[in-house]
Amino acid sequence: MRQALEGSQAIARAVALCRPQVVAAYPITPQTHIVEHIAKLVADDKFHCELVSVESEFSAASVVLGAACAGSRAYTASASQGILLMSEVLFNISGLRVPLVLTCANRAVSAPLSIWNDQQDSMAVRDAGWIQIYCADNQEAVDATIQAFRIAERCELPVMVCVDGFTLTHTLEPLELPDQELVDGFLPPYHFSRALDPLAPLSIGTLVAPEYFTEARHLHHAALLAAEKEIVAAARDWAAACGREQAPLVRVDGPADAKIGILTLGSVFGTLLDARDQFPGLPVKLMHLRCFRPFPVEALRAACAGLHDLIVLERAIAPGADGIVGAEMRSALADTDSPPRIHNFAAGLGGRDVPLAIYPRLLEAIKKPHPRMSAIDLRPELLPADSPVRQEAAP
Amino acid sequence: MTPQTLHDLRMAQPRFQGLEAGHRACQGCGQALAARLTLEESGPDVVVANATGCLEVFTTAWPDSAWRVPWLHSLFANTGAVAAGMEAALKMQGRDIKVLAFAGDGGTFDIGFQALSGMLERGHNVLFICYDNEAYMNTGVQRSSSTPHAAATTTSPAGVARMGKRHLKKDILSIIAAHHIPYAATASVAYPADLRKKVRRGIEVEGPSFLQIHSPCPLGWGHGSELSIEVARLAVQSGMFPLIELEQGALVGAMPIRQIRPVADYLKLQGRFKHLFADDALAREELAHLQALADQNIEDYALKAETADPLDTEGVDTVRRGGLRST
Amino acid sequence: MPVMTPGAFAYPATALAFKTGSWRTMRPLYQPRPAPCHSGCPAGENPCDYLAQVAEEDFQAAWETLVATNPLPAITGRVCDHPCESACNRGRFDAAIAIHNVERLLGDEAIRAGWGYPLPPLVPDAPKAVVVGAGPAGLSCAYHLRRLGVQATLMERLPVAGGTLRMALPGYRLPREVLDAEIERLLAAGINFLPNTALGREVSVAELRQEYDTVFLGPGRQRPRPWDVDGRTPSDLHPALTLLQEWVAFGTMPEIRSAVIVGGGNSAVDMARVLARAGARVHLVTHDALPGPDVTREAAMKAAPRDIRQAQEEGVILHTEHGVHRLILRGEKVVGVELVRMKKLARDNGRFDIVQFEGTETVLHVDQVIPAVGQEVEPEGMENLLGEQHFFPVDKVGRLAGQAGLFVGGDAREGAWGTVSGAVGDGRRAAAVIHAHLLGEFHDEPEQELQVIGIAELNLHYFEQAPRAEEPLLPPENRVGSAEIAGGLATEQVIAEANRCFSCGNCMACDNCWTLCPDQAVLKTREFAADGSHYRIDYDYCKGCGLCAHECPVGYIAMVSESS
Repeated sequence: MRQALEGSQAIARAVALCRPQVVAAYPITPQTHIVEHIAKLVADDKFHCELVSVESEFSAASVVLGAACAGSRAYTASASQGILLMSEVLFNISGLRVPLVLTCANRAVSAPLSIWNDQQDSMAVRDAGWIQIYCADNQEAVDATIQAFRIAERCELPVMVCVDGFTLTHTLEPLELPDQELVDGFLPPYHFSRALDPLAPLSIGTLVAPEYFTEARHLHHAALLAAEKEIVAAARDWAAACGREQAPLVRVDGPADAKIGILTLGSVFGTLLDARDQFPGLPVKLMHLRCFRPFPVEALRAACAGLHDLIVLERAIAPGADGIVGAEMRSALADTDSPPRIHNFAAGLGGRDVPLAIYPRLLEAIKKPHPRMSAIDLRPELLPADSPVRQEAAP
Repeated sequence: MTPQTLHDLRMAQPRFQGLEAGHRACQGCGQALAARLTLEESGPDVVVANATGCLEVFTTAWPDSAWRVPWLHSLFANTGAVAAGMEAALKMQGRDIKVLAFAGDGGTFDIGFQALSGMLERGHNVLFICYDNEAYMNTGVQRSSSTPHAAATTTSPAGVARMGKRHLKKDILSIIAAHHIPYAATASVAYPADLRKKVRRGIEVEGPSFLQIHSPCPLGWGHGSELSIEVARLAVQSGMFPLIELEQGALVGAMPIRQIRPVADYLKLQGRFKHLFADDALAREELAHLQALADQNIEDYALKAETADPLDTEGVDTVRRGGLRST
Repeated sequence: MPVMTPGAFAYPATALAFKTGSWRTMRPLYQPRPAPCHSGCPAGENPCDYLAQVAEEDFQAAWETLVATNPLPAITGRVCDHPCESACNRGRFDAAIAIHNVERLLGDEAIRAGWGYPLPPLVPDAPKAVVVGAGPAGLSCAYHLRRLGVQATLMERLPVAGGTLRMALPGYRLPREVLDAEIERLLAAGINFLPNTALGREVSVAELRQEYDTVFLGPGRQRPRPWDVDGRTPSDLHPALTLLQEWVAFGTMPEIRSAVIVGGGNSAVDMARVLARAGARVHLVTHDALPGPDVTREAAMKAAPRDIRQAQEEGVILHTEHGVHRLILRGEKVVGVELVRMKKLARDNGRFDIVQFEGTETVLHVDQVIPAVGQEVEPEGMENLLGEQHFFPVDKVGRLAGQAGLFVGGDAREGAWGTVSGAVGDGRRAAAVIHAHLLGEFHDEPEQELQVIGIAELNLHYFEQAPRAEEPLLPPENRVGSAEIAGGLATEQVIAEANRCFSCGNCMACDNCWTLCPDQAVLKTREFAADGSHYRIDYDYCKGCGLCAHECPVGYIAMVSESS
């Protein structure tokens, strides 16, 4: 049914449609509306689950881990500090190969303290062994959430669905919410092959000595790589069920022979789409990296084929090093035939508004020399006088 | 008897062996015994969430596991939360399986405290068992907040400037009591019948229950492996480790002591207290302090037995011909 | 080769593949140790065993266990001085188990219920043996031979069996009905009893040795040891043994107003008590001391402390550490004695001398002096065997030196206990050797027994104090004639006593080791294992921590070096 919903509400309803039996909730801006709406659905008897109001995010992740191992579909959501606090558990969950879905309402991480949107939080745990999917808009958030449960349970890997805080979570969009029958048809009841059962007891979470550890880690890595197939299949089957096509790994929008490409993750993609309409000019291929983990090397190489310049516009940085996605793109394209020049920019850190004007600015910026990695929307006038960047960027 | 027949005998034991032989606990490990007794009493219809620590490490060196029950080890600090999640799931599934949480004193008193408190506050139907060996034993005997006052550990050693741990043993049961949960108790491996009774009670309770089992560690406490039971017994008989029961935070039972033993009898068996027997004023003072703490326990919990009572320390775990004393 | 699993999970109980037994440096061993009651019993009973059955209220089984060693429990339960109780470890905890009361109740119950000895039938061509003397030693030997499948012939000089039991034990210690019932059951068990058959009269030792491969002699000490003071005796001297036998048989006693009984053994005390019942004023004079905690066995009166106590209650006046220095005669009859203090002193060579102390003389006016200074073997029919000796020199199992196939037991042997239970034990020990001899087998010498288990090796934390049941005794004023003095215990009391038994050195299946092993290395068997334990140690996993041994209440588990 098509309706205008706040992103958080839409996600909450999507989660309810998937019938998780256990939901753990610890509030943190900007995820709060998700858990609050779930609580309301439960209170109005529209969603039958055990809603566990935990005492920290560390416990939220632990509760859903326990629930999933005990044989129930489980869900939680967090952001920023909460993601970091539960990071020990995130690594644990994926290493144990437990299926779970978690919504990350992307937010900057302290310090400095910020409640506004960037993607430093999910990027900080990119190597936690989870599948990571980024949503460009709230419709994608709904669809990706539902697909995530299936992907998680088939791969026996946890899935983090990343949704830009405030920009998506607190924004109304018209979107299509599927009905219960459709979701039930797509998503079978929860099955976990290693669920704790007195009739078939297993010991989960053992100590692994050096002589066996590499193989354990290899299996995990291999499972993540193999998950790509399930991610693709889920999108295909979902499209067949509800009629909405979504590129599962990389969405490409623009002429195939464009020489310039801009790759981004999350809601900025929508900004760029609007901006390209606003500022027509050279053909530009806009790309949304939906599936960040596993990192879809082949799909990205295909998407970037023929480009002379690739702008990687990201919402987080690796302080003291390069951009995060930018570095991975350099690595992915390094040994292709004539890889494009890669221009790595960050924008909108800490929730700074990304205006349509960013688009022409990017296209201008790549004509001049620029650092390996920089924030395109940096305001040099706010920097101390002796800052090198300020000195260079004399207005 | 050939090994084949012995194995058959093992499979035909008249008790549930939730913790099987072949685990790598040290000789005389009080914690291994306590866990074994716990699962004997609980039977197979349980799921266990186990904190990082000795118990988890010595029972599951992949591909070996000594557990016969469904068992999950996640991290050091989250046992209370993992157990809460299991309980929520099983409740939704409508399955009558009790959730047990196992943690050492580290995973209960210190790093695991928050998750435990949250679990208790929310009223999950979980029996949380703390195997209290009074230090971080698995990492090499470092002090925890459960370490008794004046005990030596590697991070609270005795030396010229120090007499072991400066701070008192955290009164965890009072903190648990403040959560007003249906049932909380202390138990000791020296009184297995009493321990079993309390495990059974915790399992039967609807809602959160907590059991702190005093579990000697020969290596960490510095005594011979054959003395684990005797040491545990003396801890109870000296008043250092009272055996009490609480319901909704109120004291409902305490095991009286017929023959109260001086604290020195308990301490002198253990290397971790040997600095208290040096011939100097500070040692004597600390020894007196420990006696005072024990005396206070005896007073607080009214532990002095007035008459011979089958439930006092001499009565509970006496032997009789033909086997287990039924409780 | 294990295959890595998703998330590295493990299957249940796979740890059994890891045999932690390799860690051991010491290993626990179930090792039965002799309990002090067993090593202290002259008959060789193991009270632990039948006490266990009484605790389980299986009285017939308990009696059958008892009579596998001692066929006369209703008798020994009354007359034995129960050294088992003196040795009982529980005596050092609260109070010794009243083992004699248990034995007595079992014996009495067997008589009441008419239980028979559990004996296998005798085969037609069973080997034969002969036993001479139907006192406790002979009765026991014949019984044990029968139990072992030997056709035993039991010869007795007198018309009835019983020996000292019948002739010299007063009814107030051993009621006639009890004696008759025990002996009757024994003789009816398939023993060929020949009364009125005496050595040197109806039959000779030589004839017996020709007809039988083995001969057991239990003639007892039927002759009072001669006694005089400086070579003088009164003309109307009656040894105590003779007077006692007359009183026991006929109830008669010569008219005696006052007497001195000389001696410190059971016969002396019995004589004194019988005389006191007949109305005489009785003094018991002995150079021995009253038995007590500070008195050595050598220095103490040989009579049972219980009987000495009862004698005093009945009015017998005791003069311990005294002797008769001089008889005061008028003509040939005694009118008094002069007593002097005496003491048995140990000399450097380990022997004892009886020393008189000049200057301590006192006079007692009595009209009889009755010696009860011990007995000797009546040599009639055995002169060749005895020679100049007063007792038969034999080894531990009763073999007579230099006489293959000849055995002696009971009071007649050198070094005899001088007690009923000692005689019963002698009969049993000899029977085992005789049986082996008859089968042409070599008798296995009993292995070097392990040390008796002391109280320090028990773990007393597991026992609660409980008082000992005391049997009622007839008050002295009611002790007339042959009325039995000791009342025995009621059934519930006996069961309670049996439950107090520590079961020293013998597994009582308390489940402690099974309960307390952290490594699940102690397994419970449902039936008794070959070594009598109820448990098996799985040495594949036992780490040798020693908890089981330390916490075993009865000291049944020893820790031995792994390399031994």
